Amino acid sequence: MSSNSTSLKALTEPQVADAPARHEKLGPSSLQVLGNYLLGMGIALVPLALLYNDYYWINILTFAYLMAGLASAWNIIGGFGGQFSLAHGVFFGIGAYFAAQMYLIYGISPWLAMPVGAIIVALIAVLISWPTFRLRGPFFAIATMAFNEVVAVFANYSESITGGARGLLIPFRASFSHMIFVERWKSTLLMFAFMAFVAAISVAIRHSRLGYYLLSVREDEDSARASGVNVVAVKLWGMAISAALTAMGGTLFAMFIRFLDPPTLFSLPEVGVKFALLSLIGGVGTIWGPLLGAALVIPLENFIRATLGGLPGVHLVILGILLMLAARFLKRGIVGALANLHWPQWKSRR
Amino acid sequence: MDNIVTIFIFGLLLGGIYGLVSIGLTLIFGVIRITNFAHGEILMIGMYGTYFVYVWLGLNPYAALIVVVPAMFIVGLLVQRLLIQPLLNEPMMQIFATFGLLIFLENLVLMLTNGAALGIPSEHGTRVISLLNNKVSVAQILAFAASTIIVISLHLFLNQTMMGKAIRAVTQDKRAAATMGINVNRIFLLTFGIGTAITGIGSVFLTPIYTLSPTIGGSFVLAAFAVVVLGGLGSVWGAYFAGLIIGLIESFAGFYIDPTLKSAVWFLIFIAVLIVRPSGLLGIAGAEEVGLREQQ
Amino acid sequence: MNTNFLTVKDVSKNFAGFLAVDQVSFAVAQGEMIGIIGPNGAGKTTLFNMLTGQLRPTAGEVRFRGQLINQMPPHRRARLGMGRTFQIAKPLIALNALENVMIGAFLHRRRLPEAREFAYAILEEIGLANRALRRASELTLSERRRLEVARALALDPQIILLDEVMAGLNASEIEQAIELFHRLHARGLTLLVIEHNLRVVRALSQRVIVLDHGVAIAEGHAEEILRAPEVVTAYLGREREWTTS
Repeated sequence: MSSNSTSLKALTEPQVADAPARHEKLGPSSLQVLGNYLLGMGIALVPLALLYNDYYWINILTFAYLMAGLASAWNIIGGFGGQFSLAHGVFFGIGAYFAAQMYLIYGISPWLAMPVGAIIVALIAVLISWPTFRLRGPFFAIATMAFNEVVAVFANYSESITGGARGLLIPFRASFSHMIFVERWKSTLLMFAFMAFVAAISVAIRHSRLGYYLLSVREDEDSARASGVNVVAVKLWGMAISAALTAMGGTLFAMFIRFLDPPTLFSLPEVGVKFALLSLIGGVGTIWGPLLGAALVIPLENFIRATLGGLPGVHLVILGILLMLAARFLKRGIVGALANLHWPQWKSRR
Repeated sequence: MDNIVTIFIFGLLLGGIYGLVSIGLTLIFGVIRITNFAHGEILMIGMYGTYFVYVWLGLNPYAALIVVVPAMFIVGLLVQRLLIQPLLNEPMMQIFATFGLLIFLENLVLMLTNGAALGIPSEHGTRVISLLNNKVSVAQILAFAASTIIVISLHLFLNQTMMGKAIRAVTQDKRAAATMGINVNRIFLLTFGIGTAITGIGSVFLTPIYTLSPTIGGSFVLAAFAVVVLGGLGSVWGAYFAGLIIGLIESFAGFYIDPTLKSAVWFLIFIAVLIVRPSGLLGIAGAEEVGLREQQ
Repeated sequence: MNTNFLTVKDVSKNFAGFLAVDQVSFAVAQGEMIGIIGPNGAGKTTLFNMLTGQLRPTAGEVRFRGQLINQMPPHRRARLGMGRTFQIAKPLIALNALENVMIGAFLHRRRLPEAREFAYAILEEIGLANRALRRASELTLSERRRLEVARALALDPQIILLDEVMAGLNASEIEQAIELFHRLHARGLTLLVIEHNLRVVRALSQRVIVLDHGVAIAEGHAEEILRAPEVVTAYLGREREWTTS
């Protein structure tokens, strides 16, 4: 068994000695990666530091951070793994309802419910993905969309579990253990922490074996298989992690907004597709893309809603146009556009 | 016993409606191999178009066919040329783009109609006749008839005309078709136009039956996908019969279990077919072919 | 020396009535170089696909290192020590050459820096080190071929299956490739090679198996086989199959 490992090992040993200079060119070092991450998070924190007292902006900021985290979570399986999931609204919703009900019915702190909910959602995600991952491309998307629809209907239907169409209301009782705060900026900080957490996991995955495996699955499954990648396992892991993180975001959302109803949570354009859309505009499959996408689109959306709010649906019309234009002209998103400017040789010739 | 007959008739008529909604979709699917997530919204604008033709021109809504169908054909050409064609090799971008179209169309209509619920008044929608001791809506019968006529006409078109045969050639193997001198891009354009026009016919016949809202497209699209998959991608007869089957299943399930569970029915059918028999009942293009790397 | 390193016993593949491979049997010893030749459509690639797992045999047994691998999925066969190149080189185009090779390198090396190092070493051996950071979409055909080989080598394989890896290469590229494979073979790598090029077959095969219409019609040492009457007959009228360089 070792006879062949030595054949190529003998090859690598002499080279390792003069490694250092070469390795810098091959890819970022762990230190560089960490540095980039901290820099990015520092920059992301600046708006909060500046605007924590501004009532109008603090709301927008809160949602922006939350959506940035959720988009990043989607990006793990949708961007890195290339599996266009429309089921993430379900994971978000379950995370929200679970924590809300644990709190309302049993008085359990959302801090406890959050990880438990995340694990439950991860299991559900694996269960639902295992048959649907066999479906190629658009069929996977359609199946997840149908799943979202089924759950939405069920949520409307089952009053005992979700409060049905009337929704659930969480009374305002501020305390840290309730995850309900008097000062707005504390909620914003919590959302920032969530975003930072998801971004950290995203970075860790991207620079790990799982990350490379996800990319290979996205690019060419058969090729990946021939290279020793267990495609099914990789997809399921990516989905599980992505779903768990999304569920956590759902919990945070529930305790922030304190009113849950099925249309709010399971609406595809507002939730399920939004995660994907933010990733696209920022740069799907990159680490910073989803964050940039959220940073751009959420405030923009609010601005449009504020100025043109009279007419219903205007901001979504613009969002739809944005989506079509981005898909058509800005496939790599903002991150890609910037990269093209900086490193022209990376421009793909298609 | 009356009950069973009623359920059966209702199921068949519903099936006719599903056929109307899905035949255009399966044609597009089979030829171009793309998923148009905005299909429901295209149906929806056809319905709104019918409504406005009725309101502004005062014609019988069925006469709106003259206006709506050509208009929808052009819409199809535009969507294909501007959105689909450039993205033929980018499956993920197709999903984004058609979702963008979905969101755009739905909210455009919302914006323009200010959310008002519109409907064509009673005489057209609720005229009933008696069939086997059941009161059956004339509009639904007409829809069923339209569905049947469409599928027969399409069958003749695809099998007896040069253009139809070219379309079938592209469906089976577009590279081979190209080497035989068929302009594949032109066929794509034409097919999307025809598929949209057929959906336009469907929307004209559906308008007298339903109350219009911008989200009505969404309530059809999942059923449409289930129909297309069950019938087999690219097979218009498949879509027709699958529509009937699903209409019947939904009708019986609705009666014996619960009407609100219909989306669960569609989902289960969809999953079951794709896992057990991906090519559907009469599939021309197996589901394996609608994969990520096949469109080159 | 394990004479039954890879054994194929009465393996057949039936595609809904079309018998692409018909009861083929042979055994490969560890460290051998075996050539598989035959006219186009003889079933060579189908045979490879059954060895590496892209297809399952409809009959017969494939054993590798003693294990029955008929139903084993491709990624587990890679883990077991099988590497392979494909006739149409399909690199992962959005990744650069180094990353392409790293995917394979991760099989036996969990950590990123080790996988990266190993991948780079392989690129050096294969002569692609200077293109390591280029997107795969920017590589020339010959470079893509080499990348295919590099990706297979990254698995640290014990046996490598090469499917017409020389097609489209010029004479000097072919010589370089032959030299590379001889080096690897000298270090213990077992080779199974599908080729049309006579020069390559002679250089990279100790034994040759001839397939025609899915049947193994001859097997023996390279020189004998290339002159055997039934082999010539199989190619009769299809002399274009032979390319000499």
